[in-house]
Amino acid sequence: MVDSRLYLACYNYLYMSATIGEHNHFIDGPLTDGIPSLVAAAHELKSPLVLIRQLSLALENTDISITDQKRMLRQISFTSEQALRLTSDLTRSIRLSDALFALEPINPQQLCEDVLRDLIPLYVAHNRDIKIVSSKRALLLVANRDLLRRIIMNFSDNALHYAESNIAVEIKIGSIDAGRTVRLGVRDYGPSLSGNVLKVLANRLTNTSTSIHSRPQSSGLGLYIASQFADSMNGKVGVTRHRDGSTFYVDLQASRQLSLL
Amino acid sequence: MNVQKVLIVEDDLWLAEHYLRILSAVGYKVLIAPHALAAIDAIDDDIPDAIILDMLLSGSTALALLNELQSYGDTGSIPIILCTNLASELSLEDLRSYGVRQIIDKTKMVPNDLILALRSEM
Repeated sequence: MVDSRLYLACYNYLYMSATIGEHNHFIDGPLTDGIPSLVAAAHELKSPLVLIRQLSLALENTDISITDQKRMLRQISFTSEQALRLTSDLTRSIRLSDALFALEPINPQQLCEDVLRDLIPLYVAHNRDIKIVSSKRALLLVANRDLLRRIIMNFSDNALHYAESNIAVEIKIGSIDAGRTVRLGVRDYGPSLSGNVLKVLANRLTNTSTSIHSRPQSSGLGLYIASQFADSMNGKVGVTRHRDGSTFYVDLQASRQLSLL
Repeated sequence: MNVQKVLIVEDDLWLAEHYLRILSAVGYKVLIAPHALAAIDAIDDDIPDAIILDMLLSGSTALALLNELQSYGDTGSIPIILCTNLASELSLEDLRSYGVRQIIDKTKMVPNDLILALRSEM
């Protein structure tokens, strides 16, 4: 009984991503079509709200040094911004089916550099590092700039939470499929996954027909949204599990613009 | 008088720092472990007098850590205070055999709750 109750509480949370994955595969409509998605959104927003509330309560204490006060206020700002990004992405994903998105040739290196500039203050505040790794001159890809930017921000937010402090998170730019597809990935070096966790993940990959899965302890909402954005650009989101972290990636069609010249 | 040691197992670094600030101010020696593996390493180095444990951690859940701790005589008796967003879905009665003494609901807690919980268990 003890095990089953405890497992139930955890697994309600852990397997939400699998449920979301199934929704991703079977439902083309808005995210709010599924109750589990609403539950996921509520869970996902709990953590930043808890932190903001705790820090706000602590700031009522007059014994805190000015330096600590400033640091805590900065943490509140960054945490609010991350939560707002999630709610903004959620709204955007709900309206995806109603909108038309301009797809255009985009230089991934340039886009990733823009994202990096925005992310560095957040990473510095967390005592983490992030860099771009591009093996060669990147191909142009076809995407909507705003949606692609949101996907990379989403992956980077996710990586920030799991990355160790001594190894930089990498935004990787490369191509696959003989240059027909551009892959943008965010690689983190987090804690090693245990054999059991790897087994659970392997089962999920086997038992669900979608390639996108969240972290074992996450509701996966952000990744679900990213996959919705990728779908709307004819792209695909996926994950590679490593012993020492993960790479979340989006595959998008390479631009044929140059070959037409 | 010996300084009491508290291990905080919490993957939200800023929240962990917040706990550390609260507990250090009242004299506890505090260590932070961001995930279960780091927690096991920290416990191997120096057994804490109490553990404040988040339920959903990077790499594995608190469940793995609870099972691990209960497997050994010297760690099975460490008082554990669960500090979690999942409090409403958990029952303390069900968790007592895992060494869990109290469950604090993160969504409702005030900073002093951690101190009160530790003082009542150590």
